[in-house]
Amino acid sequence: MVFDVFFLQQVINGLSIGCVYALMAIGFTLIFGVLNVVNFAHGEVYTIGAFVGLMVITAMAPPLLAVVPLVLAVGAASGVGLERIAFRPFRRFTDEASQKSRAMREATLLSSLAVSIVTREIMMHIFGGDMQGIPSGYLLQQPVAIGPIMVASGSLVIFATSAVMLGALQFLLYRTQTGLGIRAVSNNQLGARYVGINTDRTIVTTFAVGSMLGATAGILVGLYDGAISPHMGFAPGVKAFVAMVMGGLSSIPGAVACALLLGVSESIATEFLSSGWKDLITYSLLVITLVFFPQGLFGHGRERA
Amino acid sequence: MRKNAILGAVLGAMLATTAVQAADREIVIGYQAPLSGDRSQYGEMFRNAAQIKLEEFNASGKLAGAKVAITFEDSKDDPKEARNIAHKFLDNSKVVGVIGDFSSTVSMAAGEIYAAEKMPQLSQTASHPDFTKLSPWQFRNITTQAFEGPYNADWIIAAGMKTAAVIYIQNDWGISALDGFVSGFKAKGGKITATEAFNPGNRDFRSILTKVARQKPDVIYLAMFYEEGAAFAQQREQLGIKIPLYGTSSLYSPKLIELGRESVEGLHLATTFTPDNPDPAVQTFVKEYAARFKSEPGMFAAQAYDAVGIMLDAVAKAGPSVTRESLRDALAATSGYPGVTGATSFDPVTREPAKALAKMMVKDGRFQVVTGP
Repeated sequence: MVFDVFFLQQVINGLSIGCVYALMAIGFTLIFGVLNVVNFAHGEVYTIGAFVGLMVITAMAPPLLAVVPLVLAVGAASGVGLERIAFRPFRRFTDEASQKSRAMREATLLSSLAVSIVTREIMMHIFGGDMQGIPSGYLLQQPVAIGPIMVASGSLVIFATSAVMLGALQFLLYRTQTGLGIRAVSNNQLGARYVGINTDRTIVTTFAVGSMLGATAGILVGLYDGAISPHMGFAPGVKAFVAMVMGGLSSIPGAVACALLLGVSESIATEFLSSGWKDLITYSLLVITLVFFPQGLFGHGRERA
Repeated sequence: MRKNAILGAVLGAMLATTAVQAADREIVIGYQAPLSGDRSQYGEMFRNAAQIKLEEFNASGKLAGAKVAITFEDSKDDPKEARNIAHKFLDNSKVVGVIGDFSSTVSMAAGEIYAAEKMPQLSQTASHPDFTKLSPWQFRNITTQAFEGPYNADWIIAAGMKTAAVIYIQNDWGISALDGFVSGFKAKGGKITATEAFNPGNRDFRSILTKVARQKPDVIYLAMFYEEGAAFAQQREQLGIKIPLYGTSSLYSPKLIELGRESVEGLHLATTFTPDNPDPAVQTFVKEYAARFKSEPGMFAAQAYDAVGIMLDAVAKAGPSVTRESLRDALAATSGYPGVTGATSFDPVTREPAKALAKMMVKDGRFQVVTGP
C-alpha cells in the first residue's frame, strides 16, 4: 500500500459511502432517542421515499427540486402511520411499571420489525423484486474532478444534505420549543407528561421528522445509485444501526461521525483485504467499541430501564 | 355372406393397421420439467420450444419408418416427483430417452435412477459439475463456467490484452466463474493482476475499482449478474476509469442496458443464445416461437429447443429400431450439432458440451454480435 492518489481516492470513496450511512443514521437515531426503541421500519421508509420519488419522476417528470417536498410529505405521512400502527398501541398503559417494562419495549421492537417485513413484501408484490432504473436526466452520477480525485455529483449532494440535516436537527432540538419537548420526552417520558408536555404529539412529531429525513435519504441514494429495489433499505439500515450504537445510541452527531468512520474504514480496508471482508471491518469496529466504550464513542451515562 | 363381408372388412382393416404400425413404429421421448408451481414458467418455455422442434423433425423425414412423440410429465421442481416420473418412464418400454429436468438438484435426483436403470438423460439446464459425473447416461447441452471462462480468456488474449483483474460475486457460482477464467487466462500466458470478491447485495464498487485501477490491467473481467454489472459500469465511468470490461454470459440481459445506459457501452460478453443472431436457424426459431406463443424466446426456450434437437438427431442416427443403449451411444457421438445456441459437441469421455458461443458487445445502446476477435 502506498500513500498515493489512489489512496486519497479511497478515502474520498469511503467518505461518500459514509455519507450514505450517515444520511440514514440521522433519522434512525432521532427516532431511537425519543422512545429508546429501535425502529426497524426505518429502512422501509427510506425505500418508500425512493419509490415515491421514482413514481413522481416517471409520471410527471418534474424538476428535481419539486420532487423533494413531495417525498418529504410522503415520508412524514409514513412516519405518522408507522407510529400509529407499530408504536402507539404499546403505549396504552402510562403507569411507571409499564413505561419501564422491558417486555413492552421488546414488543415494540418486534412490531416495527413486523411492519418492516409486511411493507417490504407489499412493495415486492407491487413493484417486483427487480432493480428499477432511474430516468437518466435525474441521476446524480456526473463525475466531478477535484484535481486528480474523481467524485460523483451525488456524493457532494449527499454530503451537503447530511450537513444541512444535521445542522437543522441540532437547531430544532436545542433552539425550539418542539425540540425541548422531544428532549424532555427522550429524557423521561413520565416526567415530561407530569410537567404538561403532550407526549403523544411530541412522539408523532419525532416520527414525522425522522421519517422525512429517511425518505429523503432514500430518493437521494436512489438517484446516486441509479437503481432502486424493495430491498435497498436493508444493507444501509444495518450500517446506520451500527453507526448509531457506536455513536452512543442517542447522539446524532456521534452517529454521523461513526457512519463516516465506518465508510472510510471499509474503503481503506479494501486496499489490504478482499472487499468480501469489508463487513468484518464494520462489525469488528462495533465489537471493539462496545468492549472499550460501552457507552459508545459519543454517548454519556444514561438511565437504563 | 353379409357377415363374412363385415368380417373381411374388419380383418382387412386390422391387417392394414398392423402394416402401418410395422412401417411407422412409435418412439417416445420422455420430457420431465416443472409445469406447475413456482418454476412453471420455465417448464412452459421448454414445452413450447419442444413442440416446435418435434413438429419440424417429424415433418423433415430424417427418420424413415418411425414417428417420434414426446410425453411430458410435471416434476413441480421437486426431487420426489422427479423420482416417480423416472420410474414411470422406465416402465414404459416405448420411452428410449429422457430430457430434463430443470434444476440441477431435481435432474440429479432423477438421474440417479436413470443411471442405475440405464436410460439416457439429457438436461437442457442442469449446470452442476456433478450432474454429468453421475454415470455415462447423463448429458447436458448447457455450458458451465468451466467452459465459458477459458473461452472468454481466449477471446481476450486474441484481442491482444495480456493482464486482467477479475471481480466476482462471493458465492458458489462466482467462485466457479473465477476459477474457470483464471485457469484459462493463465494457460494462455495471461497475467491476473487482482481477484476481488464482493458480497451479494453490495452496490458500491468504488473501493474495488480504485484498488484494481492502480495496477492498470488491460481488462476487467466481471463474474456477476446484471444488477451489479450495471452499478459497476456506472461507478467505473464516474471514477473516470477507462479499462475495458468483459463479462460472463450472466450479464446478458436487456436490464443491463436499461440500468447501466451509456456506462455499459463497449462491454463484451459471450453468450449461447441471442434472438438478434442473424443466423437463419435462429431467426426461423425466433419467428416461429413468437408467432405461436406471442413472446420472444429467451435463453431457456433456446436451450430446450436444442436439447430436443440433439436428442431427435441421435434417434435418427440410431435408426427406427433405436434402443436405450443405442440412443446413449448416438448421443455420446454428438458432434457439431447446428443448434440455435451455437454448434454443440459432447466430449466423448466427460460428456460435457462444447459450443461456439456468440461474441457480443454493447454498442449504440443494444447488444450486437461481434465478428472477428
